[in-house]
Amino acid sequence: MAVENYAFLIPLLPALAFVLTFFFGKKLPNGGAIIPIAAIATSFVISLLITLNLLANPEEVVSQSFSWFAMLNIGILVDPLAAVMLTMVTFVSLLIHIYSLGYMSHDKAQSRYFAETALFTASMLGLILSDNILQLFICWELVGVCSFLLIGFWFQKPSAATAAKKAFLTTRIGDVMFLSGIVLLFTDLFKIYNGAIPDGVYILRFDVIFSHIPEIAAMNATIFGMEVSHITIITLLFFGGAVGKSGQFPLHVWLPDAMEGPTTVSALIHAATMVTAGVYLVARTFPMFIAAPSSLLVVAYLGAFTAIFAATMGIVMNDIKRVLAYSTISQLGYMMLGLGIGATIGAEAVGISLFHLINHAFFKALLFLCAGSVIHAVGTQDMRQMGGVAKVMPITAATMIIAALALGGFGIPGTIIGTSGFFSKDAIIESAYVFGASSGMWIPYVLSIVAALLTSLYIFRLIFMTFFGKARTDYGGHESPATMTIPLSILALFALFFGGLATERFNTFVSDTFMNDFVHVNIAELAEIGGYHLGHHGHEPLIILWLPLIVAAAGLLIAALVYGMKVVNMDRLVSRNNPIYKLLYNRYYQNELFTNFFSVKVVYEGLSYAGRAIDTGFDWLVGWLSDLVLETGESLRQFQTGAVQNYATAVITGVSLLIILIKVVMEVL
Amino acid sequence: MIPIELYIGLSAIIFSIGLYGLMTQRNGIRILMSVELMLNAANINLVAFSSYNADLTGQVFALYSIALAACEAAIGFAILMAIFKMKGTINLDSINILRW
Repeated sequence: MAVENYAFLIPLLPALAFVLTFFFGKKLPNGGAIIPIAAIATSFVISLLITLNLLANPEEVVSQSFSWFAMLNIGILVDPLAAVMLTMVTFVSLLIHIYSLGYMSHDKAQSRYFAETALFTASMLGLILSDNILQLFICWELVGVCSFLLIGFWFQKPSAATAAKKAFLTTRIGDVMFLSGIVLLFTDLFKIYNGAIPDGVYILRFDVIFSHIPEIAAMNATIFGMEVSHITIITLLFFGGAVGKSGQFPLHVWLPDAMEGPTTVSALIHAATMVTAGVYLVARTFPMFIAAPSSLLVVAYLGAFTAIFAATMGIVMNDIKRVLAYSTISQLGYMMLGLGIGATIGAEAVGISLFHLINHAFFKALLFLCAGSVIHAVGTQDMRQMGGVAKVMPITAATMIIAALALGGFGIPGTIIGTSGFFSKDAIIESAYVFGASSGMWIPYVLSIVAALLTSLYIFRLIFMTFFGKARTDYGGHESPATMTIPLSILALFALFFGGLATERFNTFVSDTFMNDFVHVNIAELAEIGGYHLGHHGHEPLIILWLPLIVAAAGLLIAALVYGMKVVNMDRLVSRNNPIYKLLYNRYYQNELFTNFFSVKVVYEGLSYAGRAIDTGFDWLVGWLSDLVLETGESLRQFQTGAVQNYATAVITGVSLLIILIKVVMEVL
Repeated sequence: MIPIELYIGLSAIIFSIGLYGLMTQRNGIRILMSVELMLNAANINLVAFSSYNADLTGQVFALYSIALAACEAAIGFAILMAIFKMKGTINLDSINILRW
């Protein structure tokens, strides 16, 4: 009994749990939560066993394909990349489900909640397991639907319904780009095969796609007078999809609003099941990206920009969950940056980016669950009304501080002492340095190092405002039940130690994901196509290794001075008169720009104007046609005199004319 | 033997008289009579060509036609009588309710 044969159960069990919980959950205690928990636990065990197996033999990936129709297939592929994602998603999702037992215990619609989270997990697992891009897209859309359902879980609240709609529509923009990328890729592959596809070749499967990258790269299209390779267009379209799903600028606007759902849903979306899909897509199609001139640079620059852009907004938010939401956007920016610098360091980029993704999943899930625990006890999300919560909730406070240390990236370079975020984020920042050193483009490095300072600043601002100082309102509160604190403690252990223990092994494991018996991609050769020159992680100067830690400590220090000890009076800075504060607090006026101006004015009013114009046009046309018919009838009915002899005259005239006509025709012929 | 042209001429004249009557008269009975004239013009043609071609088919048709004309006249007069009972006149100008 080889466990690989049961890999297909990983997404199917949660999907089955969805059906069972949906129909029978109401009759069971806790809304039938035990079903998805058991299913996801089983999936976790299978994923873990497969991962351990792969660790021993990295060459032997699990790959099963079945013909679906024509030249398409459904199938599963568990290579190192998928295996670590599967294990992380099932693990984090399992803990969140257990935590939800306590968190959602007062909710009336528990069975709906557990059914939807099970489906959410199932679709994400399906996405990770897909061995072809079409199946991945289907699961990708399923993830989108589930996020819509869960963000709007409390649909009675108008704000939740709006947020769900916004999330759905914003990610939709990315989805359409992703789909057009798939269509273009399909057309190109079809052309490469001249339309004659041999049996057993499924053209959208990753191994087929990867083996034809040079041919796709050779195709050119002319856009605005520039010769652009098809591979660049396809990868940019794919990246567009990832931008929507992973909340990169400018499609990040849905993520902060997605806080309207239950906090556990936010944790699920931000840590495990939704936003990582975009990063995973780019990592999965990394061989295509590296063969694409300038696509990876776009990824790197946009990632670095998003990292700092979101971090600046995180500093001024007062809603505890919104701070975390901006933190997620910022960290996703880091992951994208990590992938983007693959232009210099090759497949290693996938390793370090995925490592940050996994570590981020641990500490971000932890942060959200802690925030949920605090909200559960305090009854508000506004940090200005908290303060001193640490005294009431020691476990929550301790675990959240661990998560904050992990997010801030504290550790000692050159040793295995450090939080998980330290290893992954510093790896990305150092790679950005290598990127800068070899290509001369220093902007991503500078942005990432400043973002690291801001990261540490906003997360410790949150810690100090929430857990320390005096209670600013009378909130009462109590420590959360064990179903909530145990998952917190487990996640805290991972946030603390996973990075240090796994870093070396993990990076080599995942970096080799494109070298096995399923796909065998030579990244260095593909990089030549893209015009990149691969370098190596060399020996960076000592200051580069220590700089991320120094800026993180500086951020902690500033936060402690300003929010912990109050040496600076914030009231003067935090006022509507300070233009910088105002700009940040209003989130760069994105809401005004995107929602009020673009969505309402341009799209909504533009469409309604066009609609009205078209409507009027059709109205006029239809009215004119009906008038024409009516008037014709009105004049024609005058012939119907009722006098027999008029009819007789008409008949006789008609017959005479007919005879004359026949005569004339006969003459002519 | 009388040439065929004279028969056709006679037939055409009678037909035209019938046509003229059909289009100008207002009295229902006169119109029926005009229709009879047109029918008989056709009968003359049938018989004339039958004799000309030495083929009896035409005369058989003529007999049929006369029988049908008799039926038609009977029905026509019956309708006219019904109209007369209803409206007290058989002037066709006054029978124009089937109109716009």
